[in-house]
Amino acid sequence: MSESGHSAVLHDNKSLRTLFGLALRLLWRDWRGGEIRLLLLSLIMAVTSVTGIALFTDRLEKALLLESANMLAADRVLRSSQVPPEEILLEAESRGLRTARTLSFTSMAFSDSGNMLVAAKAVSNTYPLRGEVIIADAAFIRGTPVQNGPSTGEVWLESRALSALSIEVGDSVYVGEAELTVSKIIIAEPDRQQGGMLDNAGPRLMLSMEDVALTNVVQVGSRVSYRYLFANDDIETLDSFNQWLRDEYENEYYLRDVRDESEEVSDALNKAESFLLLGSLFAVLLAGVAIALTAKRYSERHYDYVAILKTFGCTSAQIGIIYLSIQVVLALISIIIGCVLGWLVHQGILQLLQTVILVSLPPAGYQPYVIGSLTAVICLLSFALPPLLALRETPPLRVLRKDLSQQKFGANVPYLFGMFGTVFLILWYSQDLMLTTVLVGSVAAIALFLSVVSYALLRSSGSVGMKAGSAWKLAMTAARRRRKQNVLQVMVFSITIMSLLILTLLRTDLIDDWQAQLPEDTPNHFMMNITQSQIAGIESFFEENGIVSNAFYPLISARVIAVNGDEPDPQEDLDTDANRSSITEGAQADDDESEDQSGDQESSAGESGEQGQVRGRLSRRQVTWADELPADNRVTEGSWWDENIEAGYVSIEDEYASWLGIEIGDSVEFEINQQTVSAEVSSFRSVRWDNMQPNFFIIFSPGTIDYLGATFLSTALMEREQKILLNDLVRLFPTMVIIEVDALIEQIQNIIAQVTSAIELISVLVLVCGALVLLSCVNATLDERFHENAILRTLGAGKKLILTSLLIEFSMIGMVAGIIATIGAEGSLYYLQEQVFEQDFNFHYWVWVAGPLIGMVVIAGLGVNSTRKVVSISPLNVLRRVV
Amino acid sequence: MIQIEQLTKSVDTSEGVLTILKSVSLNIETAETVAIVGASGSGKSTLLGLMAGLDSASSGDVILNGHSLAKMDEEQRAILRGQMVGFVFQSFQLLPSLTALENVMLPIELKGDPEASTKARRLLARVGLEERWHHYPSQLSGGEQQRVAIARAFATEACILFADEPTGNLDTATGDKIVELLFELNREFSTTLVLVTHDERLAKKCGRIVKLVAGEIVSDEKNLAVGTTVDTTGTTPKEDAVSV
Ligand SMILES: Nc1ncnc2c1ncn2[C@@H]1O[C@H](COP(=O)(O)OP(=O)(O)O)[C@@H](O)[C@H]1O
Ligand SMILES: [Mg+2]
Repeated sequence: MSESGHSAVLHDNKSLRTLFGLALRLLWRDWRGGEIRLLLLSLIMAVTSVTGIALFTDRLEKALLLESANMLAADRVLRSSQVPPEEILLEAESRGLRTARTLSFTSMAFSDSGNMLVAAKAVSNTYPLRGEVIIADAAFIRGTPVQNGPSTGEVWLESRALSALSIEVGDSVYVGEAELTVSKIIIAEPDRQQGGMLDNAGPRLMLSMEDVALTNVVQVGSRVSYRYLFANDDIETLDSFNQWLRDEYENEYYLRDVRDESEEVSDALNKAESFLLLGSLFAVLLAGVAIALTAKRYSERHYDYVAILKTFGCTSAQIGIIYLSIQVVLALISIIIGCVLGWLVHQGILQLLQTVILVSLPPAGYQPYVIGSLTAVICLLSFALPPLLALRETPPLRVLRKDLSQQKFGANVPYLFGMFGTVFLILWYSQDLMLTTVLVGSVAAIALFLSVVSYALLRSSGSVGMKAGSAWKLAMTAARRRRKQNVLQVMVFSITIMSLLILTLLRTDLIDDWQAQLPEDTPNHFMMNITQSQIAGIESFFEENGIVSNAFYPLISARVIAVNGDEPDPQEDLDTDANRSSITEGAQADDDESEDQSGDQESSAGESGEQGQVRGRLSRRQVTWADELPADNRVTEGSWWDENIEAGYVSIEDEYASWLGIEIGDSVEFEINQQTVSAEVSSFRSVRWDNMQPNFFIIFSPGTIDYLGATFLSTALMEREQKILLNDLVRLFPTMVIIEVDALIEQIQNIIAQVTSAIELISVLVLVCGALVLLSCVNATLDERFHENAILRTLGAGKKLILTSLLIEFSMIGMVAGIIATIGAEGSLYYLQEQVFEQDFNFHYWVWVAGPLIGMVVIAGLGVNSTRKVVSISPLNVLRRVV
Repeated sequence: MIQIEQLTKSVDTSEGVLTILKSVSLNIETAETVAIVGASGSGKSTLLGLMAGLDSASSGDVILNGHSLAKMDEEQRAILRGQMVGFVFQSFQLLPSLTALENVMLPIELKGDPEASTKARRLLARVGLEERWHHYPSQLSGGEQQRVAIARAFATEACILFADEPTGNLDTATGDKIVELLFELNREFSTTLVLVTHDERLAKKCGRIVKLVAGEIVSDEKNLAVGTTVDTTGTTPKEDAVSV
């Protein structure tokens, strides 16, 4: 029999089909037995959360960009106070961009019975490119949206202009030399706020670009603002056009997008994007951890399986094929289910958000699905593949000697693979080195710290010194016996709790910040150019009409001319923060373009770019004086003057001060109304520039500049239906200038509400991922605990003793994890808030109590709940593995 | 059928090299039933594992049906096991996540046999468990589990069956029934049976008894009570008949 037998041996008759079939059956049986459910669940969770979040972010980002594009009536805008070359428009059109033109100027409008200063805006017939103009047939009624401006010979007027001019729709108005017919009431226009002072000088009068020449109002030297609008759905087309413009005109003309236009919106968008990204990164991280844990447990449970298969003649290669097939099938199942669920999740989010997301969302691309699928593949490759492939090394002798298991792979190798996989995934997903570094850094720090701790624990053999009840002793011995496992568990728990803490704290801080930035009662009208004698009248006018008014700030234009007797020497580099402008600052110029470039005689036309901007900022500031520190200001150095105020002091915004090289105690000379005033710097302040409130770089102590004749500025909150009162106000105080920012504030509040809901939802999603990780981590050591506690019970330990000991052990693990997580979270938050989210980091004191406590309660709860069965089923059954 | 030549197995332990088997030689013929007896720790399981190609020897060789195990790597030994060898273990080694039927089906499925289910059912019926096919190992008693394991062992259609203390985890009565079944099936399939036991009653059912003491064969005797030669006068050697 030897010869024929020999050849039969060398020929293995197991076909790939057989192996694959076996793999499928194995998978099915494991599913039925529950062995693989947690692994599959983790995988599906990973794909679902990543796909869902990616789909949602993708669409939300597009929608937010679209909606914010409405604030510009375009995707990109070019502004100039001179007519920009026509060639720019032609080039844009040849590149497939849609274009439009607008021209803003102030003019008097006359009717047969009155006249009024209006903010005129001429628009080409393609205006608006984004968003809608809302018009109505009569004053103060609901309007209908249209996507065009008035036709030739017609004008659209704001309601209150009609009553001021005592006219109705259909009547004529005269603008310059042209007689035009009022055809509609204009209720809202998308880019109402973009023209600076020119657009805020009075009620809107919109006319066709073709009628501008007829009016003969716009002449060389007139204060006007030209705008070219561009739109295209493809960002790259816009960018390449921008590049062309930059090359062609060397920064003489440049395109602005909504982020350049509105600091508030750009800030909210950037932070929301970072948060969504961070949220999905945590989802990836947690899903990865869950997969690592469940895969390890799964593979541990399969040692016997492999050993048996080997005694039946399976070679390592065949076992490799079987487990590889299992993974491929797992990946396919989780990708399919995960993508569908991800889609559903994002639909659910949208459903929840439909009250806040008012724009229709553009469809998502295919990338979210790719990202989700790749997540599954990478997670499997890095977390599940190594332990499963290590199974191949299981010696068949294991069927005879239980203690034998695979020895070639170190027990921690799978985790190493997992680490690399996660880092890769996070980096690839975020394309953001900073976020990746913070995330990986904090996790690595925890891992390192715990390794050191576990090493120390392993070396210390002394007793813990517990003399309390025997449940304590039992818990301590159990904890020490499972030192290695417990350290691993603590690691997983701390990483999970840390992730959740980071997200929760960040979320709360962001939302608080946004709410503080623009609370419900943010004033939406600015009144300027008020004289001292008018203040009482204005106050009583507001009081009579139930309008909330605020403090009156004196306003006067000042220029720093010397610091300690020397000419100031500002740093040339453009510091974005010191470059901020506010509505207050805008008040100094008629057109906000002139603020930086032409607002000062000193910056001659020849001066270009940076130099001009530096000088511009140095030149003039709107300054004030005040008893009290303005609400959102914070003294960063020195001290604010108190009750016994003395004249001669000044408080300067901190970044502006450092830009000028000013220090506390310096004597600074100002030029105000051709007079020189000198004051000692007593404090630096940080200022919230994005709160839509009067903000000042320079504040004097009362009495220092009072005699120089300031005008006053105040703010008020006016509801939509109160706006008609503006007519009376202007009539009563004709010199007063009113700036309406209500539409802008509404737009910003709306966008912020949307991103707030978005980040809330992401937090919840990640929370679910986190719960899954905690569960699989508790489950990972369940088998052993079952066995051990069953033995303890057979040895006569009572239920209460075992439960108490379990409670103590899990509580300790949870508490340690909570402490580490809190440290890690605060550390990461410090970097995240300072570097990514541009927030001020503050310790969250309550977390230092809540973190460990939550860890303790949650882990103890989960742990005892899962191991409860230990005492409720008979030890015999446990020993017979009925679990 | 099985030729063992100068087989030695040593392992490295923390106290130095431990030699578990010391130059063991043995010849087992086709259809023979051999009991390997000896005290716990004498190296019986080690010898069995080496014979079955579950492990590799330090020196010496096992020639299984003409194939030298020493010349094979683990992959080739696996293929050889799949085609020639069946196992029954003390701890049954049923897979807990599989039903009784699926446990028996597993080796048949591995061969790619589409009749796996039918064949497995027939075997389960043969060991008297046709009613319990859908039960999981944890729902079966020890004796029932071992019967499933025996059905599985014969499902491979192997020509050599290795059993490591098949009754070790069972009470005497159950053990007797299992042994009965094992020998019945062994006759039906005319397999070569090598079983390790320290149970004398079990050993006496075998045609030949090999005794191991501290890794060396101290006696190797034909059991005249059974086997081909009908000889009722044969005596079983006493445990202490041979001293080391
Ligand atoms: N891999 C190994 N490492 C260390 N000692 C081993 C190993 N394999 C077997 N032994 C030891 O060799 C001796 C014989 O084991 P074994 O063959 O299982 O004995 P038996 O089955 O006769 O009870 C025992 O003392 C056992 O502890
Ligand atoms: Mg043994």
